[in-house]
Amino acid sequence: MARILVIEDDAATAQEIVTELGAHGHETVHADNGDTGLDEATREPFDLITLDRMLPGIDGLALVERLRERRIHLPVLMISALSDVDERIAGLRAGGDDYMTKPFASNEMAMRVEVLLRRQAQQPADEAILRVGGIEIDLIRRKVKVDGEPIRLLHMELRLLEFLARHAGDIVSRKIIFEKVWGYYFDPGANLINVHIARLRKKLDRPGKPSAIVTVKGEGYRLDAV
Amino acid sequence: MRPSPLLRTTTERLRLRDIRNTSTFRLTLLLGGVALIGVVMLTVLIYALSARELNARSDRILRIDAARLIAKPPRSLRDEVNLAMARNTSELTYYGLLDPKGQQIAGNLRGSSGFTPGHMREIPERQGHHGPIRLLAERLPTGETLLIGRDITPLVDLRWRVTIVLIASALVIGLLIVGTAIALSLAPLRRVGQLQRTAQEIAAGHLEQRMPILGRGDELDLLAGTVNTMVDEVGRVIGQVKSVTDAIAHDLRTPLTRMRSHLDRARRQEDVDPATAGRLDLVIADLDTVLERFTALLRISEIEAGSRRSGFAEVALDPLLASVFDLYQPLAEERGIRLASHALPDAVVFGDQSLLFEALSNLIDNAIKFVPQNGEVDLAVSRDERGVVVEVRDNGPGIAQDQRQSVLRRFDRGEASSQIPGSGLGLSVVVAIVHLHQFTLTLDDADPGLIVRILMPDHAERSIQP
Repeated sequence: MARILVIEDDAATAQEIVTELGAHGHETVHADNGDTGLDEATREPFDLITLDRMLPGIDGLALVERLRERRIHLPVLMISALSDVDERIAGLRAGGDDYMTKPFASNEMAMRVEVLLRRQAQQPADEAILRVGGIEIDLIRRKVKVDGEPIRLLHMELRLLEFLARHAGDIVSRKIIFEKVWGYYFDPGANLINVHIARLRKKLDRPGKPSAIVTVKGEGYRLDAV
Repeated sequence: MRPSPLLRTTTERLRLRDIRNTSTFRLTLLLGGVALIGVVMLTVLIYALSARELNARSDRILRIDAARLIAKPPRSLRDEVNLAMARNTSELTYYGLLDPKGQQIAGNLRGSSGFTPGHMREIPERQGHHGPIRLLAERLPTGETLLIGRDITPLVDLRWRVTIVLIASALVIGLLIVGTAIALSLAPLRRVGQLQRTAQEIAAGHLEQRMPILGRGDELDLLAGTVNTMVDEVGRVIGQVKSVTDAIAHDLRTPLTRMRSHLDRARRQEDVDPATAGRLDLVIADLDTVLERFTALLRISEIEAGSRRSGFAEVALDPLLASVFDLYQPLAEERGIRLASHALPDAVVFGDQSLLFEALSNLIDNAIKFVPQNGEVDLAVSRDERGVVVEVRDNGPGIAQDQRQSVLRRFDRGEASSQIPGSGLGLSVVVAIVHLHQFTLTLDDADPGLIVRILMPDHAERSIQP
C-alpha cells in the first residue's frame, strides 16, 4: 500500500482518481489547488503524487519544479487536458516522471502509478543485470539468458523485455508499452503490440514451464518470475 | 498565391489544343474570317468594276473604229484596213478583212471560227499576236467580214496581279488573324488555368484557397468573386460542422471514459458472475472503439491546428523507415505478408519525427490490413528533381480511381474495406500530417494494388517556421 497525494482541482476527476487508487489498496490525500498541494507535499511523506497540469494557485509545472528545488524526489504522474506532445515534453522536463492526458481510463492511470511506485522501490536503473525468475538480462552486453541458456533477441525485443522486466509483477497496458519502449504517443492498434509480445514470448517460453509473460485480459501484460 | 503542395497538377504548359478550344480564339478567328472575306469581296468588286470599265472603253474604241471602216466604200475597204494598220503605231489594235469564205484578204488578223458578227469575243494569246485580244467581227453587205481586235494584255495583267494580291493578302491576313487569336487567348487561358488550379485545390479540401481577382472587373473577376463567396460560405459551414463534431467528441470523451472506468471496476469485482463479466467485456470493448474514434478525430484536429510545428527539425528518413519496418515486420510476418524496406542513405527532410513516424505507420498498417496472405508491401524512399519521395506500395485490391479522393476524407472508407476493421480515420490522420508539413500525398494504381506516395519537396523543408 502506498500513500498518494492527489492534486486535482476538478472534483469529478479527483473522485475518479481517489476511488481507483483506493480500489488498488492505496491511501490517498486530495488537494484541490496548487498551493495546498505544495504544502501537503512538503509537510507530509508521500510515495507518489498525481498532479493536474493546470491548477488554481501554483500551476502544475511550477509545482513540480518547486518540489525538485526542495529536493523532494518522489515520483510525479502529471495529468493534463493538454494532449500536445510539446506539453508532454514540458511536463516531463519540469520534473514529472510520467504524463497522461485527460480523459483517461482509470485502470490505465492506476497502472502508471504502479509502474512509478515499482520503479521507485526496485533496483536502480543503472544496474547491470536484471533478473526475473529464470530470465537474466545483461544490460551492458545486451545478452539474455533463460534458465542459463542464451537466447537471441532483436534490438526492440530486448528493449521490450527490459521494460517488462523493470516492471515485473505489474500489469502494463499496450499503450504504456508502446510509449515507453517505442517512444511514440499515438495508438498503433492492439494487434501490433500483441504480435511483438507473442514473438518475445515464443523465445522466452520453455517446455513444461508456464509462460513468463502473462496476458491480463482487457488490461495488458505482466512479466512474472517463473 | 502559392499552389497547394497536396495537389498534383497534370501539366503547367499551355497546349495548342487548349488555345484552339478557347472562345477568344474562336471568336477572333470568326471575326477575322468575316473581315478577310469582306476584304476579298471588296477587292474582287473593285477589280470587276475596273475590268468592266476597261473592257467598255476598249469595246467603244473597237466599235467606233469598225463603224468608221464600214462607212467606207466596199471597194476601198482593203486599202482602208491596210491604211489603219499602218497608222496603228501603238500596235494595240489589230485588223483583218476576210472574204465570204473566211480567207484573209487584208490586215493582220486571220479568220477563225466561233465569232458572232456584232459581238465581242476574247481570244487568248496565240502565235502572231502580241497578247490576248478582244475581238469584234462585223459582217459586211458584200459578204466579207471585218475583224478589229484590241490588245487586252494590261487587263489580263491586272487580273493576274489582283489574284496574286488577293492570295497573298489572304495568307498574310489569315496568319495575322491566327496570331492575334493566339495572343488574345493566352492571357485569359492562363488566368482560367490559375482559376482551375485553385478550384482543384479547393475541391481537394484546401478551403483556405481563394480564386485570384485581378481587379479589372472583367467577367473572370466577377466569376472568381462569386466562387470565393461560395467557398467562404462552404468553409464556414464545414468549420461549423467540424467544430460541432470536435466538440461532441471532446465533451463525450470524458463521461464515456468515466463510464468505462465504472464498468471496468464493476468487471473486476470478485463476485461478478461469468455471464455478466462477458457482457461487461463486450460493452467495454465497444466503448473502447468509440473512444478510439473520438481520440483519432481530436488528434486530426490537433494536427490540423498546426500546433505541432515547434517539433519540426531535420529528420533522417533512413532510421525512421528502419523503425517503422521493425515495428511492423512481425505483424506482416504473422499475416504471411512480405514487408520490404528500400532506404535512401542520407535522405533528410524537415518535419516532426513523431508525426512522420505516425503517418508511415498508418500507411503500412493500412497496407498490411488490405493485402491478402502471401502479398507484398514495399516501403521505399527515392529522390527526384522535386525532393524526397516516400512510397508505400502493396499488391492488394487497390482503390478505384473514382474513390481515391474520397478515401482521404474522414470516416470515408473504400469499397474494399467494408470487411476490414477500422475507423476510416487512418488516412485522414496521414492527410493532416502531410498538410501540416506542406508535403504532397498521391494515390496511384500499382496494378494490382495501391501506391501511396508522399512527396517531401525541398522547398517545404525550411519554409515552415516554428
